[in-house]
Amino acid sequence: MTGHLAGRFGQALVACFGVLTIVFFVMRLSGDPTLLLVPEGASAEQIAALRHELGFDRPMLVQYVAYLGDLARFDLGESLVQRAPVAGIVAERIPYTVALALGALLVALGIGIPSGIAMAVWRGTVVERALAAIVLAGQSLPTFWSGILMILFFGVYLGWLPTSGADSLASLVMPAVALGALTMSTFARMTRISVLDELSRDYVAAARARGLSRMAAVGRHVLRNAAIPVVTIAALEVGNLLAGAVIVETVFAWPGIGQLAIQSIAARDFLVVQAVVLFVSIVYIAMNLLADLAYAAIDPRIRLER
Amino acid sequence: MRRATTALPMLAVAATLALALPASAQTKDTLVVDLPGDVATMDPHLQWDTDSYSVYRNIFDNLVTRDVAGKIVPQVATAWRYADDTTIVFDLRSDIVFHDGSRLTPEDVAFSVRRIINPAFKSPQLSQFDQIVAAEVTGPAQVTLRTKTPYPALMAQLVKLSIVPKAYVEKLGDQAFNQQVMGSGPFRMRSWQRGVQSNLEADDAHWRGKPSFRTVTFRAVPDIPTRIADLRTGRADITRGLTPDDAEALKSDKALRLLPVPTERIAYMFVNAQAGPTKDKRVRQAIAMAVDRDTIISALQQGYAKPVNIVLTPANFGYLPDIPGWPHDPARARALLKEAGAEGAAIQFLTSPAYDRRLNEAVQQMLGEVGLKVEIVMLDQPTYLRRRQGTPEEAGALSQGRWSCACQDADGVIFPLFRSGSIWSKFSNPEFDAAVDAARVVLDEGKRLAQYRRAFEILRDEVPGIGLFQDYQIYLARKELNWTPTANEAFFVSEMKWQP
Repeated sequence: MTGHLAGRFGQALVACFGVLTIVFFVMRLSGDPTLLLVPEGASAEQIAALRHELGFDRPMLVQYVAYLGDLARFDLGESLVQRAPVAGIVAERIPYTVALALGALLVALGIGIPSGIAMAVWRGTVVERALAAIVLAGQSLPTFWSGILMILFFGVYLGWLPTSGADSLASLVMPAVALGALTMSTFARMTRISVLDELSRDYVAAARARGLSRMAAVGRHVLRNAAIPVVTIAALEVGNLLAGAVIVETVFAWPGIGQLAIQSIAARDFLVVQAVVLFVSIVYIAMNLLADLAYAAIDPRIRLER
Repeated sequence: MRRATTALPMLAVAATLALALPASAQTKDTLVVDLPGDVATMDPHLQWDTDSYSVYRNIFDNLVTRDVAGKIVPQVATAWRYADDTTIVFDLRSDIVFHDGSRLTPEDVAFSVRRIINPAFKSPQLSQFDQIVAAEVTGPAQVTLRTKTPYPALMAQLVKLSIVPKAYVEKLGDQAFNQQVMGSGPFRMRSWQRGVQSNLEADDAHWRGKPSFRTVTFRAVPDIPTRIADLRTGRADITRGLTPDDAEALKSDKALRLLPVPTERIAYMFVNAQAGPTKDKRVRQAIAMAVDRDTIISALQQGYAKPVNIVLTPANFGYLPDIPGWPHDPARARALLKEAGAEGAAIQFLTSPAYDRRLNEAVQQMLGEVGLKVEIVMLDQPTYLRRRQGTPEEAGALSQGRWSCACQDADGVIFPLFRSGSIWSKFSNPEFDAAVDAARVVLDEGKRLAQYRRAFEILRDEVPGIGLFQDYQIYLARKELNWTPTANEAFFVSEMKWQP
């Protein structure tokens, strides 16, 4: 188990390093960042002066080493636009995105898993077909569209929920549902397949033969086994939720990391964009690692195979 | 009798309520503003983007300001006069106090100028003020500024100069001041949650009078449909940045009011005069005649744009309405292309996601009709800027842009766009250069206009760019909000009133 853990951790570190490198080169090779930072009317001399000051005129490799050095000291630099430390700007937004991701996960688990179970247990009935329609909708409606529809219906027409912002728990409802919809569908489908798979096993037949009702067999035996792939998916989905947050936070004016990314791109705040990309990538890698470890912890077969 | 004694106070309460109700319906304490973006800096000497200054300009007084008609009028300065061509003397008010109770002095004014022109401070607004070389206190209520050369745009630039409190800024340091700004404006800062919202509070004793709103909340709401939903539900009272299509759809909404205003932003097309088929003047003239600007205004802008004859808006000094624009004449355009031997020539229209794609396509079609093959080259913004600002060979034949100098002067538009040596210019004409150079260092308005007339006549003939239209800013407000927006897109809450 320790060897497995160390191996996975090592892989995650390599992935992190890869991400740092890719972010660095992608952000510089696509064009001169200095041009994005200067006001429109700037002269060639002003551009050259800023380029020199920011170090963008140094050889790429020198810049890369300096960049790695800064990151090793957890120095993300100072935002040239906001004149404040980048780390602080990003950190202020994290709680909002965490709250949104948790809300979305709650929606996804709370609706997705029971729906998946129901779809498996009542396979081929009207229940499955009705739930399948919801799952399909959650999977196929783009959030920028479903978000606006929700705002119009629940916010403007019914007046039940605030149309934007992050000033109360009620503000979280629509963004969480919009963001959680896709993940909900994933959970529902995974749970359905998983439960169906387990339902066909001999131990279920044995349990039924002992006189257990179908629901009792599902509740007592099937769910525990069916949970293994679902738990893995849950950890991976957190990464997807962060990516989806970019759109949902923009639509609902939710002041998290995703909105910060869009605002920083619009404001040409180069270092903040870089920090957000790094943050999201590292969370993604960390969640993958967590999924791996959780999988191993739940399912002894994974550990034994190694 | 006992019933009467209990009934009387109740009646009194009911009467008070009845009297109070209409009054309370007429006042509104908090104005909520939905801005498309977050405040980048509260320090008025740092960022000058519309979202930031829409908030912080309410916290400060400016040296001078513009009235609704766009005329430069006193604010902190009561009067100004030129001692000589590079020395200008300002008389200042003595009755202004900052929000901490300290008096606004000439030292604060001189400090504000020196701070923004100090290269070490690295203000993004430096290029707007760097013609000023000195600011000195020359009397108990007087400040004198000196410029490098005679500088006609000085007053237009000073409209944007917020006066900050010297002692307070020095005590806190620049970074802390940006977090806890304090000024002498009609509103003081109450709280700033970066990225979320900022709250301002009225200064009831302000020298320009008590503002109508007690507090103002500015929120960052990036998505236009969401901002519109906020307005429709009353969650916000005013927003800006609507597209012409949004405006058309909201025209019939009785609870809301559209406030469109022509700005100093010029929508234009760049035409490369130094490389490719457009190096030939006749090709450039043909393009000017092939582009149907009236159709662009009516179909793409839904009428929320004003036609222009030159690459400048009427909101800028130097606009000359009598210089003829090129007529829409596809037949003559075709003939000119034939004469130039450029029939069927392939040209590149560089663009990035920052620009209106529909305009690219409309122009592509219009030029296609006269026999030019336009290839729209979609680039990411850094690559677009690198090519557009690079050599004439890589700059493409065409690109579009919306240019604003925030100075309402021709100098801030045609100088950076077309003066040879400027990174944007792919045009070189010594006579044009001489005219725009002369216009920047002479104070006399008549002489300046004469130079700009010469400059625009050359631009008209040479077509290194085509003025498409004067762009609009479209605000959306609740019906009750009474306010007149201006061409410089200033957002002074003290000028807004709530009138049910």
